[in-house]
Order: sequence, then structure tokens, then C-alpha cells
Amino acid sequence: MVRPYAVKGKKRKKKADVYDRAEEEEEAAAAAAAEPEETETEEADKKRSKGNEAEERKGNPIELEGIPMAPAEINPKNGPGAIFILEKASLEVAKVGKTYQLLNSDEHSNFLRKNNKDPALYRPDILHQALLMVLDSPINKAGRLRNVYVRTAAGVLIEVKPYVRIPRTFKRFAGVMLQLLQKLSISAVGKREKLMRVIKNPVTQYLPVNSRKIGFSYSSEKLVNIQKYVASDENSTDFVFVVGAMAHGKVETDYTEDFISISGYPLSAAYCITMICQALAGKWNIL
Amino acid sequence: MAKHKERHHQKSVSKPNPFEAKSPKPGRADANHNHETAAAAKKKKNKLGPNAVAMKHQAPPKPNPFETIWSRRKFDILGKKRKGEERRVGLSRSLAIEKRKNTLLKEYEQSNKASVFVDKRIGEHNDELDEFDKAIRRAQRERQLKTNKKSKYNLSDGEEDDFEFQSLGALSERDDFEDDGLPEDEDDDTETTKTKKRLAMTDQMDGDLMEGEENRPKSKKEVMKEVMAKDKYYRAERAKDKEELEDFRQELDKSFTSIVPSKLLQIAEPEMKIPNEHSKKDELSEQEKSRSYFKTFGNLVMVSRAQPSDRTKTPEEIAQEEREQLEHLEEERQKRMLATDVNSDDDNEDAETPSNQKPRPISGDDLGDSFSLDEEPRIKKGWVDEILERNDASDSESEEGDASEDSESPEDDSEGSDKDINLGEKSLFMKDWEQSDDDNLGNDLDEEEEEEDGSEAHEEDDDADEKEMEPRKLKKMKKVDAAEAGQKEGDFLDAKKISQDGKRPSTQSDLPYLIEAPKSFEELGVLVDNLSNADIVLIINRIRKSNAIKLAAENRKKMQVFYGVLLQYFAILANKKPLNMELLNFLVKPLIEMSMETPYFAAICARERILRARTEFSGTVKNPEKSCWPSSKTLFLLRLWSLIFPCSDFRHVVMTPATLLMCEYLARCPIVSGRDTAVGSFLCSMLLGITKQSRKFCPEAVMFLTTLLMAAKDRKPMASQNSQFCHLMELKATRPLLCIHASVGQVDPLNFLTIVDLPEDSSFFSSDNFRASVLVTVIETLREFVIIYEGFSSFPEIFLPISVLLLEVAQQENMPQVLTDRLKDVAELIKTKADKHHILRQPLQMRKQKPVAIKMLNPKFEENFVKGRDYDPDRERAERRKMKKLLKQEAKGAIRELRKDNSFLYEVKARDKALMEEEKAEKYGKVRLFLQEQEHAMKSGQLGKGKGKKRRR
Repeated sequence: MVRPYAVKGKKRKKKADVYDRAEEEEEAAAAAAAEPEETETEEADKKRSKGNEAEERKGNPIELEGIPMAPAEINPKNGPGAIFILEKASLEVAKVGKTYQLLNSDEHSNFLRKNNKDPALYRPDILHQALLMVLDSPINKAGRLRNVYVRTAAGVLIEVKPYVRIPRTFKRFAGVMLQLLQKLSISAVGKREKLMRVIKNPVTQYLPVNSRKIGFSYSSEKLVNIQKYVASDENSTDFVFVVGAMAHGKVETDYTEDFISISGYPLSAAYCITMICQALAGKWNIL
Repeated sequence: MAKHKERHHQKSVSKPNPFEAKSPKPGRADANHNHETAAAAKKKKNKLGPNAVAMKHQAPPKPNPFETIWSRRKFDILGKKRKGEERRVGLSRSLAIEKRKNTLLKEYEQSNKASVFVDKRIGEHNDELDEFDKAIRRAQRERQLKTNKKSKYNLSDGEEDDFEFQSLGALSERDDFEDDGLPEDEDDDTETTKTKKRLAMTDQMDGDLMEGEENRPKSKKEVMKEVMAKDKYYRAERAKDKEELEDFRQELDKSFTSIVPSKLLQIAEPEMKIPNEHSKKDELSEQEKSRSYFKTFGNLVMVSRAQPSDRTKTPEEIAQEEREQLEHLEEERQKRMLATDVNSDDDNEDAETPSNQKPRPISGDDLGDSFSLDEEPRIKKGWVDEILERNDASDSESEEGDASEDSESPEDDSEGSDKDINLGEKSLFMKDWEQSDDDNLGNDLDEEEEEEDGSEAHEEDDDADEKEMEPRKLKKMKKVDAAEAGQKEGDFLDAKKISQDGKRPSTQSDLPYLIEAPKSFEELGVLVDNLSNADIVLIINRIRKSNAIKLAAENRKKMQVFYGVLLQYFAILANKKPLNMELLNFLVKPLIEMSMETPYFAAICARERILRARTEFSGTVKNPEKSCWPSSKTLFLLRLWSLIFPCSDFRHVVMTPATLLMCEYLARCPIVSGRDTAVGSFLCSMLLGITKQSRKFCPEAVMFLTTLLMAAKDRKPMASQNSQFCHLMELKATRPLLCIHASVGQVDPLNFLTIVDLPEDSSFFSSDNFRASVLVTVIETLREFVIIYEGFSSFPEIFLPISVLLLEVAQQENMPQVLTDRLKDVAELIKTKADKHHILRQPLQMRKQKPVAIKMLNPKFEENFVKGRDYDPDRERAERRKMKKLLKQEAKGAIRELRKDNSFLYEVKARDKALMEEEKAEKYGKVRLFLQEQEHAMKSGQLGKGKGKKRRR
């Protein structure tokens, strides 16, 4: 027998559909792209806050019962956020022997030399460190990190959601990246939600409209104190930081408005990101 | 669709069989018939020559520029082979169109035709064959047909027969193409005929051969040859086996010789040497070897295996051994007691008899002899002596003040045995006994314990009767013994008095080694009285050893009774006015050990005593005249329990009530005399020891110390300041007992034992010296408390007022310098620690919400990811999905092909239609032209063109 029509109810895949639609829209128009993204994140945020409330209601037993609660903080999602773009990341998959592997200078130096490549350029560990630093920072924990984009040296653009828990060991990270580059997306454990995916270039179509786009390079003439630099900016705009995740060379992008260096010394990507995150945490008063 | 599928299939199959691809529809027979015609046609074609066909093929195709374009990859992946990746899209497109022209177009063209022209020439549909091959095939077929069944009985022309036999006789001479042709023919549809033909051929061949060789019976010679060959073969096999066996044996020998020197040489050496005698020949050596081998073999059998070593003894066995040793000693002692009898009886001890028979006085002159003869008994009692000496040393070291104690050591049995002397004094002793407030109590207690124990045992064991009987009996015995015991006690003390002068001769050897555990206090008294401290300890140890619980089940009972008795003995000793401190100390060890053995019983005893002390205390505290501070017995017992039981337990059956009792003493007893302060401070220090580990808070102890400090102030000048302390003072109604009036030169540490011994109204308690020393202990105890309670969050509230008080006390006149220093020290200590607490304290705040971090999600990924593999754990679902995907792909491909077919057909049709239209239009135009011309001619009246032209011109 056929089911009665009314019983059918909602389609199971509805959420995924929404996601896909969002994706299509993103591809269609750069300007409109931010909107569905935001609604989605808002929804997620609502859900998350609900969960938090439930947790609160359970209560921390240490706190005294009679003392009134301090008012909760304003929703961090409403405030300005930060976006990180990691340029020139060296993520490359190759067929080594019979299997595909993420190339890195430690394991595949011989292979790379055989193929007339410089092993020194294949450093996915830089990206690993940088991602760890971004996603472990308090500004991310506070929900101020909007997105992280990674652009590989080959030009593949990857979107990394801020709530990804990047694998701590490099080997596992390499596994994730390998799968991402072949499958083009990575979903969450036990969910359909996509945590990382390969998206279309250029990256500018995903950036918020009135955001400050700042490039970082040791080679820049403009040496600034990042704390002051960030603090001097007006409150409401989002930040886009473009940091290179490569071993040698310079980030060259056309969409950055400012190009600064934040130390007299050449910094590692991870440390540079740490400095930026600290400055932002100071500015937004996140402890 | 079906048509398409067929085509599609063809496409997917790489190379269709050329012979099967377009097989002619008619049956096989037809084909055979047709063959001749085909052959004829071929001949005709051959006349055209291969060149004609070649010319057709050589026609240069116009290069399509799109066909030269290669598809390119977007991403170059290192290490990936390029093969198969790149395609020429344009080329494949034109190839597809070409193929459609060959197939679809032809079908389309045939579709509205009634008849079909079928080309059945051999190899005509196979594009791969060139003309020459086709010709070969056709010739082949022709020859095959000639060797057909039908032609079997045809008379040969000679030529062909020759050919047949040639092939049989010499296979090498057969034609190459024949060899090739046969298998290829199988592929063809002429299979049936072919096989038949071939069968016929082989039949013929076989027949010939069999007649030649197989059917011929074997000759005798041949048979014999065969038999011989078989025989040879078997013999060779056997020889080979033997050789292998030999090799194996040699290997074993080798390994054996390598083993022999390492292990067996020691055992087998003599045997190994023997064979040397037989060395006559080299051949014999082999024999020797085997001989020596068997000898060593025999030896090995004899060699004992590894023996199990002695296992470690169980506690029961150790106890048993100890007991046995004691028994042995006891036996010897008995022998020695009956010296003459034993000597006369024992013939074995010849060496000893003369020495023993010799009277001692004789030895006055000849020292050497007697010395040597006298050695044995001395050795026997040596270890006891040692202990005694040690004890004496410790005696002299430890307590010099109690000179009387040493003197109290009991004397010989002989002296104790004359009882009749002391009968008069018996009553006095009884009185004394009762005064010590322990007799009744102790006995009652004991009885109760006994009962409890009985009931406990009853619970434990099933034979209730026995167990219950025992305590009863014991009780009875106790009652009976009571009088006697009193007598003995009298004895005991009397003897003490008599033998004031001290050192008794060493008679430990007279102590029995095996002692039954005393069942009542009186029995113990009998055992113990008039003995030195060391002997008492020795006796107790022997009792414990000879009645060890592990030896027998009923020993537990005995030991429990003995434990109660010993505890009572301890309590009585503790209450005696001149304290026998040494003995008390000695008793602690066995008591502790025994309570380890019977923990449950020990706890019951302790609780019972605590309960009693408590009831007694609650009685005495109501009476204001009498001092209600605990007696020395209670103090000692409390101290003993604090040693026996764990103090750090949160709740303990004994220690918790004991602590509570102590606290109650401190809280409720009024401080009246100097002695009270001393006892109280002792209790405080005991509490300190108990709470040191568990850090339990004892407010009573701290308060008591504070009260003592208050008592050290001379007046109450600042009543307003410390109202709580004043309140306390009123409650306790303390006078300034500890106020030092005159300057004290030296502050001695307080000796509690001396204080306990002192009478209550001794002048010592009102001396400044005493006060100073009490203050010292108070301060030190307080300091310890401060250190213990450091961690409490209420520390400042507890101790800060005390520090103020301390400073006030320090400012007293006549306070010795040492004391003021200490007071200030402790005050300072309190201050610093309180400050630490104050720093850590924070004002009351609103509760802060911890910032909640966003929820992080773990990415899902596989180790060793391979692209294209389905990582669904449900294999069935994965398989289904795969099949679905395949189906979809196929369907899509089919749709695509169909669409392309349609468009191709449409194009063809459109072309045809256009052609037709054109033709039509042309025809129409022609006709129209003709008509027009006709009409024109008719109208103009002219018939010829030329004329018209002319006219027109």
C-alpha cells in the first residue's frame, strides 16, 4: 500500500538541501554569498546557545546558590569578527608508490628530488601549525572567528569552518587534507555538516562587504605594532588577515588594502597568527 | 532500444570476433553451397588484383583540425601515470560518426527495402584481413570441402592421397597454413563438419599405429628387462633411505658430543676413561664409542632430577616451631629441676654427671675445673641474662628518679613461697587495692567482656554450649580465686617491701617456658608477682608464644581472655602511686601486638572502658568538691589506645569516642588547681597527637589552652576587649593560677610523670617554676595547633584573638625572657598565617558566568583514504549504491547514444529530404518551364525556339 499523502511530512534531506542551495548562491553571486552563510551560522548559534543554557541549568555545583548571577555577555556573533586567509599553503597530493599521499619534505624528499622538485617547498606542517593556532585561539572559542580560508600553492581554495577541531598530530592532519583534496569535502563525525570543503576561486567573493583586508609580510616597509594597529581601527568592521603559510616567498594578493609587517624579525606563520589573535583578544576584551 | 543495446555492446566489447560479427543469416548447409559461388566470385575479384583495394584504402583522409586536439588535465598530479588519461575528443567524435555511417546508416537504408543482398564471401566482412589472407582462407575452405564425407569414397586422383599419407608419415612436412588453418576453422561455423572430418582422420591414424605397435604382445626379453629395471629401481631407493638414516645418525652424534663435555663430564668421566683400555684397532673405537655412550646413558638415567627447595614457612608453622622450641626448653628445665634424678637416670650424660655430682664448695680451690664444668648451665641461661642486663642498663639510663621502682622488682620464688608471713597484712592490701578504684571495676569489666566475648564467639562458632560454658566457668574460677589472689597480691607487695635491697640472683632459668595463658587477673598475678620487669615481659612473651592463635583454634579464646587480663594489669599498674613506668613501657609492645591479633576484641575492650570512664566522669562532674579530671589510669589507657588504634580515621570505633571523651574532659572539668592545668595540657598535647594527621578541629583543646593563657594574666583589666574570653573565664572560674609573681631564673620542661606522682596539694604546683613550665608546654602545644589548623579558612577567626592574648601575656611583669620570646614568636606565627588567609579572601561577588566556548566538531576521515572506495561500514548498502551508480551511468550512456543516433538519423533524413525537395523543385521547374514554353509558343504562334529568339530580338 502506498502511504497516505499527508503522512509524508518533511523531507529528511531538507537541511542538506538548504546547504546546497546556499552553496549555489555563493557560487552565483559574491555579494549575496555572505547572507545565507550568516543565517545558517545564526541558526547554529541559536542551537548552540540553547545547549549552553541547558548546561547552565544543570549548574556548576561549586557556585553558591543564593548569589545572583552576573548578566551574560552579549552575543559575540553580533560583534565584529575576523577571517583568516592562509595563502600559498603547500598542500599537494602525489601518487607515491601505489598510494596517494600528501607531500611533505620529511618523508618524500627522495621522491620530490626524482621529480625535479625542491623538497624545501613542501611544508604542510606550516599550515597545520597555523590552523591549530587560529582555531585554538580564544577569539575562536568566543565565536569571533568567522571563517578560515586556505589557498594552496596550486590555487585550490579551501574553506575551513571555525568549529573544526583540527587533528593534533601531523599524520592525522595529513590524512584529513589528503581526503579533502580528493573528495573535496570533509564532514563532521556523526553529522552531515561539512567542516571543510574545496570552493571556487576567487576568495574575495566570500569576504564580507566592508571588511578590512590586511596582508602580512616581513618584506613590507610598514612596520607596526599589531596591538595598536588593531585597536586603532573602528569597532564595527570585520577583519580579514592574509597570512602566508609557506616556507619561502611572499604573499601577493590584489585584494588586500593594507600590507604590513608586525615584527622586525621574520616570524613563523603560527606565531604571527598568535600575535594577531592576541591583539584581537585584547581589542575585544576576550580573556 | 534493443538495436541500440546491441550496438552499444559491440562498442564496449573491444574486438568482436571477425567471423562471428556479421554471420550470414542462412543455415550452415547454405553456406556450404554458397561457398562455391563465393569462391567463384573471389576468383573474379582476384582478377581485379589487390592493388585496386589498396588504392581505395590509400585515399588520403582529410585531416580534421579538431581531431588533433588533445584533452588536457587540470591538475598535474605527481607520480600519476598519464596513460589513458588523455583523449582526443574530436577524433573520437568523428570515429563515432564514422561508425554510425557503417552501421546505423546502412540499417536505415535497408529499412524500407523488401530484399537484402547478403555478401557471404569469406572474409568479406572482416576488415582486418587483407586480400591475400582472404584468398588463403578461401583456398583452405575449398580443400576442406574436398575432404568432405561425401568425397570420402571418391576415388582419389592420387595427388591427394599422397598428401594425406605424407602428413601422417612426417609431421614436419605438413604445410604451415594447414597447421594454422585448423584451429581457425574451429571458430568458423563449419565446426560440425570439421570435427567429423578430423575424427575420421585420427581414426585412420590410430588404426595404423595400433596395428603397428600396441597390439603386438611383449617379447620375453622385454618383460625380463622391465622386471630388472623395477628391481634396480627399488634397490636404489633402499640404498638412498639407508644413506639418509646414516646421515641423520651422524648429525645426532655430533650434537651429542657437543652436549657431553658441557654437562655430563663430571659424572661420566670415570666411565669415559675406561674404554681407553680397549683401544686395539680403529674398528674397535666404534665399539668403544657405543659402549661409552650406553654408559653415559645409564648415568643419565641415574642422575637425579632437580629437587624442589624448601618452601617458605607459613605463619602457623613458624608459631608451631616457636612453641616446639619452648617445649624443648621447658623439658630441659624440668630435667634440670630434678637434677639428681635426671643424672642418675641419664646414662648418656656421662660427661655431665660428675660435674653435677661434685658439690660446689669444693670448687673453691680448683677454679679451672669447676669453671669448665660449670659452663653449660651458664650458656643455657645466656640469652635471658643478656636481656636482663640490657634491661638493667635501660633502667639505670631511663628513670633515675624512680629509684624505688627498681627496688620493687620481685624476688625469688623461694621467698615468695612463704605466704603465712603476710596473712596479717592481707586486709590492708585489699583496701589498698580497692582504693585504686580498679578492682571492682576491673572485675566487672572483665566479666562483661567475658560475656561479650562469649556471645561473640557464639555468633562465630556453632558449638554454642561449650563457648558459653567457658566464660561461666571462668567467672566461677575468678570468684574462687579472688581471695587467693588478694593473698597473693599481699604476698607480692609484702615481698616487695622485704626485698628492698634490690638485686636478686638471676633465676630466669626457673621460669617455666611453657605457660598456659592465665584466665583471670589473679592467675596473672600469681605468675607475675615478685618478678622483675624483664621477667614479666618474658613471661608474657612466652605465654603468647605457647598459646599463639595460629597454633590452635581454642587459643584465640585463651588469648582474648589473656588480653583482657593484661589490659587490666596495665590499668592497675598505671594507677599505682609510684609509677612503674618501665614495666608500663614494656607492656605496651605486647599489648599492641596482641590487639593486632584480635582487633575486634581489643576494640570491644577499649569501648567498654571508655564507656565506663564516661559514666564515671558524668557522675563526678556533678560533685563540685571532687576533682573530676581523669585519673592517671585513664590517661595511660587513652595514650595506649592512641598508639594501638589508627588516629587518622575519619570515624573509628575506639578513637572517636576516646577523642570525644578527652574533649569533654577539657570542656567540662573546672580548673581548680595547678595539677589540673598540667593534666589538661597533657590531654591537649594528646589530642594534638591524635588530630595531627587528620587535622580535625578540636575547639575544646584550643579553648582550654586559651583559658590557661588567660590564667597566666594577673588580673582582668581589659574586660571589654575580649568579652568572649571573659565569659569563658567566668564559666571556668579560673583564678590566675598560672600568673608568675616572681622572676623565674630557669624554665624546666615539665615532667608529667613526676606531676602525676605528686600529691594534689603539693607545694610544687603553686611554685613559679611549675607555672613557667606549664606555660611553656601550653605555648608549644598552641604552636603545633596553629601549624595543624593552618589550612582552615576560619583560621584568622580562631587564632587572632589568641595572638592578642599571647601578646598581653608576654607583657606581664616577671615573665621570663624565654617565655616572652616564645609567646611573641607564636603570636607572630599566627599573624603571618592569618595575613595569608586575609590576602586570599575576596569580597562577596556576583557569580560570574564562565564563558562558554563554541562546540568543536571532529572531522571524519579515513586512514589511508583511497579515492573511489566506499567507506560505508554497511557493506551491503555500499554494494547496492555501487550497483545503482553503475546502472545510472549505463543508462546515461545509453540515453546519450540514443540521442546521438537520433540526431544522426535526423541529419540523414533531413539531407534526404532536402535532396528530394531539390529534385522536386527541379522537376517542377522543368515541367513548369516546359509548360511555359508551350504556352508561350501557343500564344505567340511560333513553334521553334530559334524563331522565338529571333522574335524576341
